[in-house]
Amino acid sequence: MKKLGILFGTAFVILLFVSSMVFAEEPVVIGLQAPITGDYAIEGQMAKQCVEIAADLINKEGGINGRPVEIIIADDASNPKDSALAAQKLISQKVAAVIGSYGSSVTEPAADLYERNKMVSVGYGCTAVRLTLSKDRKFFFRTCGRDDSQGQFFAKFAVEEMGWKRIAIMHDNQTYGKGVAEETKKYLEPYVQEGKAEIVYYDAITPKEKDYSAAITKLRETKPDVWYYTAYYPEAGLLIRQGREAGITIPFVGSNAVPNDDFVKIAGIEYAKGTLMTQEPMPQDINTPISKVFLDAYKAKFGDIPSSPWPIYAADGLFALVQAIKNANSTKSENIANAMRTMTNAEGITGKILFTERGDRKNIPYAMYEYNDQGKLQLYTPTSN
Amino acid sequence: MGIFLEQLINGLTIGSFYALVALGYSMVYGVMKLINFAHGDLFAFGSYVGYTILVWGSGWVTQTFGIWGGMFITLLITFIAVSIAGILVERVAYRPVYPAGRLPLVVSALGMSIFIQNGIMAIWGPRFQAYPSEVVPSTAFDFMGIHITLLKIFILIFSLLLMTIIYSIIEKTTFGAAIRASALDRETATMLGIDIRKVIFFIFALGPALGGLAGVMNGMYYRSIQFNMGWNYGLKAFTATILGGIGNIPGAMIGGILLGILESLFAGYFPSGGAWKDGFIFLVLILVLIWRPNGLIGEKIAEKV
Amino acid sequence: MNFSRSFHQRILESQSELEEKSSKNRRSSSVSRLITCLIVLVFILYPFLPFINDYWIDVAFFVGIYTLLGLSLNIVLGEVGLFDLGHTAFYAIGAYTTAILNTTFNIPILVLLPLSAILAGGFAYLVMSPVIHLRGDYLCIVTIGIGEIVRIAIINNPGGLTNGPNGITGIGIPQIGPLFVESPTQFYFLIWILIALAIIALTRLQHSRIGRAWNYIREDEIAAELNGVDVRSYKLLAFVLGAAIAGITGNVYASKMMIISPDSFLFMESALLFCIVLLGGLGSIPGTIFGGAVIVVFPEIFRQFASFRLLFFGAALMVMMIFRPAGLWPRKREHLGLEGLGIHHLPSAEEILIESGLRWIQDTVLPELKRAQASHNCLLETQAVTLHFGGLTAVNLFDLQVKPGKITSLIGPNGAGKTTLFNIITGIYQPFSGQVLFLGENITRLKPHQIVSKGIARTFQNIRLFPNMTCIENVMSGPHCHTSTGCWSAILRTPSQLKEEKQIVETAAYRLHQVGLWSYRNELAKNLPYGKQRYLEIARALATSPKLLILDEPSSGLNDKESEDLMDLLQSLIAEGFTILLIEHDMNVVMGISDWVTVMDMGSKIAEGIPIDIYNNPVVIEAYLGKEDE
Repeated sequence: MKKLGILFGTAFVILLFVSSMVFAEEPVVIGLQAPITGDYAIEGQMAKQCVEIAADLINKEGGINGRPVEIIIADDASNPKDSALAAQKLISQKVAAVIGSYGSSVTEPAADLYERNKMVSVGYGCTAVRLTLSKDRKFFFRTCGRDDSQGQFFAKFAVEEMGWKRIAIMHDNQTYGKGVAEETKKYLEPYVQEGKAEIVYYDAITPKEKDYSAAITKLRETKPDVWYYTAYYPEAGLLIRQGREAGITIPFVGSNAVPNDDFVKIAGIEYAKGTLMTQEPMPQDINTPISKVFLDAYKAKFGDIPSSPWPIYAADGLFALVQAIKNANSTKSENIANAMRTMTNAEGITGKILFTERGDRKNIPYAMYEYNDQGKLQLYTPTSN
Repeated sequence: MGIFLEQLINGLTIGSFYALVALGYSMVYGVMKLINFAHGDLFAFGSYVGYTILVWGSGWVTQTFGIWGGMFITLLITFIAVSIAGILVERVAYRPVYPAGRLPLVVSALGMSIFIQNGIMAIWGPRFQAYPSEVVPSTAFDFMGIHITLLKIFILIFSLLLMTIIYSIIEKTTFGAAIRASALDRETATMLGIDIRKVIFFIFALGPALGGLAGVMNGMYYRSIQFNMGWNYGLKAFTATILGGIGNIPGAMIGGILLGILESLFAGYFPSGGAWKDGFIFLVLILVLIWRPNGLIGEKIAEKV
Repeated sequence: MNFSRSFHQRILESQSELEEKSSKNRRSSSVSRLITCLIVLVFILYPFLPFINDYWIDVAFFVGIYTLLGLSLNIVLGEVGLFDLGHTAFYAIGAYTTAILNTTFNIPILVLLPLSAILAGGFAYLVMSPVIHLRGDYLCIVTIGIGEIVRIAIINNPGGLTNGPNGITGIGIPQIGPLFVESPTQFYFLIWILIALAIIALTRLQHSRIGRAWNYIREDEIAAELNGVDVRSYKLLAFVLGAAIAGITGNVYASKMMIISPDSFLFMESALLFCIVLLGGLGSIPGTIFGGAVIVVFPEIFRQFASFRLLFFGAALMVMMIFRPAGLWPRKREHLGLEGLGIHHLPSAEEILIESGLRWIQDTVLPELKRAQASHNCLLETQAVTLHFGGLTAVNLFDLQVKPGKITSLIGPNGAGKTTLFNIITGIYQPFSGQVLFLGENITRLKPHQIVSKGIARTFQNIRLFPNMTCIENVMSGPHCHTSTGCWSAILRTPSQLKEEKQIVETAAYRLHQVGLWSYRNELAKNLPYGKQRYLEIARALATSPKLLILDEPSSGLNDKESEDLMDLLQSLIAEGFTILLIEHDMNVVMGISDWVTVMDMGSKIAEGIPIDIYNNPVVIEAYLGKEDE
């Protein structure tokens, strides 16, 4: 009996020793700044889940040259002050780099802090143009797109492809919503000058409310050809339903924060179907090697694929950072930043990840999507009405 | 004219929700002088309870009792559930703090509000939930060019009915008189033999329950619910109560309806009205109070010097 | 009451007690001074402690921000008791002023610090003036409204000023001479030095006539007004000061974050500030620091509970209010004694104050009284004063004359309108027609506190003291209307302010002694038995150095012995030179001491004359339906 015990004991120790050799290396710690609590808790919690799945996948492939990736979370509660504290916390924990955050007004103070402390940060849910244009931020990148690209796309599509003349733009007076609306307005200007288009309605609703009948009635009376709503899905769901019930029959287009399973749930399939969305390519439409693996792993653990695109960008932020660190063979911030700017071999769920000189994501194409009868997004092919 | 009428009806619909929530709010506020920040969250809680009942067993309730039957059952159960919640809130957060005065009660109410909101989030998750289309009556028709759903009419009538019942209880019954007396001067009422505990029980059971019913109807009408949906309604309820005059319980109802109509008309007719509407409402409130410091309809107070 | 024992005797008796007490006081004050020094040392050393990294320094910075905001709200909510749930508006204005002016015109941040204070304070003055008279909860909803209107205005970017939801970026950092405030440690020191200055200023204000005026308003607004406090101005002052400090905080916040957006100024912030003041203890300065620390540190400590963090926070607020509703470090007035009033150079034998008070009164007040008496043969006169309440005529063409140096009683059945008449005389009501003349001057349209400074003081039928303040503090409200120290003098402790404070406390001391309540001076007014409360009210009225004393049923609730003592007191006051106008029901008092009696019934004068004539007057008897039983 005793001999058996010693045998098992030794085997156990050897096993332990061997296993520790596999990951004998120190982990690479990467921070994730996200709104785990607060109004956008759902976005933050999904981002956490996505990044953790991504980290698992990376570690299964051997991590970063044998070193496992470890994620530390810092909650910024969608609040600028908490954002500054969360950033400061991650900085003092001396993580290698940060993925964060969601919401441009929340990301900005953090980005400044990271910049000052020479730490690389990759935003995933912050599309305001000014983040990369108004200031020199050598250490800031983002895997999501920018408001102006989307505005430009819609303006061109609306006037040139669809021939819509009278355009109604509705937003929610928040950074993202107003940002896209303003950019759209800006890119419609040349068409307005030429008399090819007219902005007949430009106003904001108050988010988190229920009843938009007043705004809808007003919009309807301006007799637009198309209704572009540039903010988030909860209100969008209510708006399309109330709009249709109030007799608005024109096409409804949502910007890229609208398409979401919850949009379909809130609007109801009968109203969601046929709505259009200006959207970057959806993960289920992208046939990258990673996307299927990722979505399957996510679904296995959490039951369903993420209902919002932004957490996917967070996961891509991790993929980008990991590749950059591998390329640079270093965790020093300057080296990571340079690698991020120059690398061509980073593969993400949303496709190849390339950054411009200023840190923006390159080559984000926009497309017009449409919700079909099953409440799923598919590429829009204009048919004659 | 048609548009104006439509905007008016819009306002009336919003207003009836505000009025129901304000009614419940004003009952507690009038008697206890307590700014019940948790009231809006109990409204949200009611919405979630209704949702849970209707969604349970893949819509068993609706399948068994039909849409309207299902709705009534849901309303009934929600009424009871939120009543109990209201009483619990009073026992836990308010009763122990009464001796300390008004200001600590405000903090306790704020704490309870945060607690309920995050409790809802913990139980049902931070995602939006939606009342499924199958459980909501969808008959509709067009009248004078305006699209009207049966549900909207039901809500208006049901709210009116509730308000009338509460109004009758408060103005016409003896117990109602006890409530009104307590709202004017709690101490004296107690000394005159009014069992203040019964009054407190009543207002904390009924007030939030009214809000809960409003929550269910709100969920059915707008469909989407989220854990922080109560905040806005709570604030509007407080505004409506003040507009109507503190302690003036029917006044709160009128205040709520007025608020809804004002909002609707302002958003509909002013340029960028949608964006400024909440600011406008508060501005109106401030001007009304400057003109009539005791509320639009007014409370009947006299301070003896 | 012992008017006869000399002061010197009393001093000798308490000398030994005082010796012991003063050495104890000296010990406890040196201990508290030591503790204060230690605390200051900890604050200075904090950033340099070994386990404190930049993150924890930033946490301490934000504790500072919320502490300073809490202190600013404390003035309005804690000191004056005004229900302000929109304080964030002033914070936002300070922050946006700094942001806009710095990014557009490159004005240095430090220059913008006072500018933010001025603009925030000015804004508070403008928006609160029209609404400052509103009561309690009405004021509350108005402040909520103002907070929301400011926030919505910021979001809607009027005139392109605020850049809407995007906020303003690129805000600069403060520069003091060659030194830039840039690192977390430097910002930490900036905010905490500002807090230290604020604490010194606020403590000095607390210990001045301004702080006391604020507390009087909080305790009983009407009593304050009728003791000469210009309630409206002081309420506005509190708001302006609170707004200014919040504006300063906004300036520091903006330059630290370098970016501001409307997200930082939601209603929740105002609610949190409210919680801070309450958690710490109303009106308590150290309590506010605690409150700020709890609000900032609690969520940080509970980060690991992620989504349950706020659940705990909500529960914690409730628990706090259930178990310690007075706050973590409530302000305790009664344990501080006269030293707690912040008066410099208190004599070790406090009785000396009484003596000095008496001397001052003999030199200044008494000659005034004599002059007033000699100059007019009718001190107070109402001419055909009429007032209606709805359909009821409360006072009907009433002519009243009060002769100097005499006791005039106004009697009549309940509901005759006597108190209403008093209210008209003292300025609470404006008569529909007729006028009130005092020393020949028409005072009909004057506000109550102005009438007090003219020389009329009153007591109330149902006693209106300042219950949570000590007896001496109550009486110190008297000299308020004759003194003039402003905010700045109080903060800077100018010699004239110190002299005035001394005078106030001396007057109060003497008057307290005069009614026999000197030994209760440090007792809270609410703890006094009923009879003594009446005397306290009288002492307070006397301390306003009036020419005319109006007493509304002073003997009600007193037993026979007490009523007799009261009559003695009133007669000694006449000897001093006062004139007294009484409402009374106790016929013994009326007959015993009145020189003249006026009878009122259903708003009109039905008889007047010397007491014995009135006693036997059939009209009067009929009005009362017989003699009043005691």
